[in-house]
Amino acid sequence: MHMLLERRQAVFGSSVRAHAEDLYRYAFWLCRDRWRAEDLVQETLARAWRGWAGLREAGAVKSWLYTILYHEFARDAEKLKLEPGVPEEPEEPHASGDPALGLDVKRALGHLNDESRHALLLQVLGGFSCTEIAQMLGSTEGAVMTRLSRARQALRRALEPADFNKEAKEA
Amino acid sequence: MSCLEFRRAVTADPRRLGREAHAHAESCAACREVLSRTLELEARLETELRFPVGAELVTRMLQRIAPRRSPVRWYALAASLLAAVAVAASVALLRDDPLARAGIDFVLYEEAQAIIDAKPADAAVLRRVATGLGVTLPGQLGEIRYIGTCPFAGATAHHVVVKTPLGKSTLLLLPERSLASRLAASANGLRAAIVPVRGGAVAIVSPSARGIARIEALLKSG
Repeated sequence: MHMLLERRQAVFGSSVRAHAEDLYRYAFWLCRDRWRAEDLVQETLARAWRGWAGLREAGAVKSWLYTILYHEFARDAEKLKLEPGVPEEPEEPHASGDPALGLDVKRALGHLNDESRHALLLQVLGGFSCTEIAQMLGSTEGAVMTRLSRARQALRRALEPADFNKEAKEA
Repeated sequence: MSCLEFRRAVTADPRRLGREAHAHAESCAACREVLSRTLELEARLETELRFPVGAELVTRMLQRIAPRRSPVRWYALAASLLAAVAVAASVALLRDDPLARAGIDFVLYEEAQAIIDAKPADAAVLRRVATGLGVTLPGQLGEIRYIGTCPFAGATAHHVVVKTPLGKSTLLLLPERSLASRLAASANGLRAAIVPVRGGAVAIVSPSARGIARIEALLKSG
């Protein structure tokens, strides 16, 4: 019995380990708080472990984990009486080595609405397609494409030189 | 493909462009430039979002998932038994109903997978089922985000996820379930009620008792 449990734990561990870093980043960009992000990932993994036996499709592990995490975040936000995505200054170190650029990106992300930011994070960090994101969010592919387009246009307006934006708008 | 269609595709998912989009970029210098700049922006964005995560953090998060066997396992077993007795006692005191609790467990552990696995559902079928049960799904319920079918408590349930003003709620329409009285449970920050209706039962899972009462009243408002 113990051997069976340990084998299950090992399979689970190796399946989720591959996604743990990006899950943490996703959690961080949702809540902008590294401690809360860690708690969210732990709670997500704990729930995933409890539901592991019922997972019928091994290929769906990644989208399953991201979906659980978002539900955890939304529940947590409601409990804390916070709206998802309340703008706060992220405290995670910059990755690019250019603090000014890092700050610009973070500020631009902070100005996106929750739905657009959520879809963008799922695509950039999770690598999900528009179809997959639509399934995860219970939305349509068209609506997800619109959110992503708006998100990227807003980021471009915030980060790109004015001449390119003008050019892109005219085209 | 027109320039407009190309730009919509590029801004929606620049890393998954189809053959047609690539062919368009080959023939249109302005769109080629847009693609190039968009991919540059994407790379900057990805670099910022993918900040370094320490290996020790990942190990710590994974270690806390499930306790491993240890030399003090008998103490752990005794503690677990005590905890189980305490939980059982508190559950008994709260009089949580197992079927209502199954509704909460469904939302916590199975709903996400049910949505991923589901095939497109027909809204007309849902309306017919609701009519058969003697309930209505009025617009005031909120924005219906998902409809589908799923297994629940040994039968097929018609699964509805609705975004209400009081939070996201789940309805499971159960045509084959007859109940003598209303059942309720509360766990993990969620509340559930299984409500007997004319042709079966409806399970409602919501973050608050107020949310459940509101949905229940609207279902029976027809």
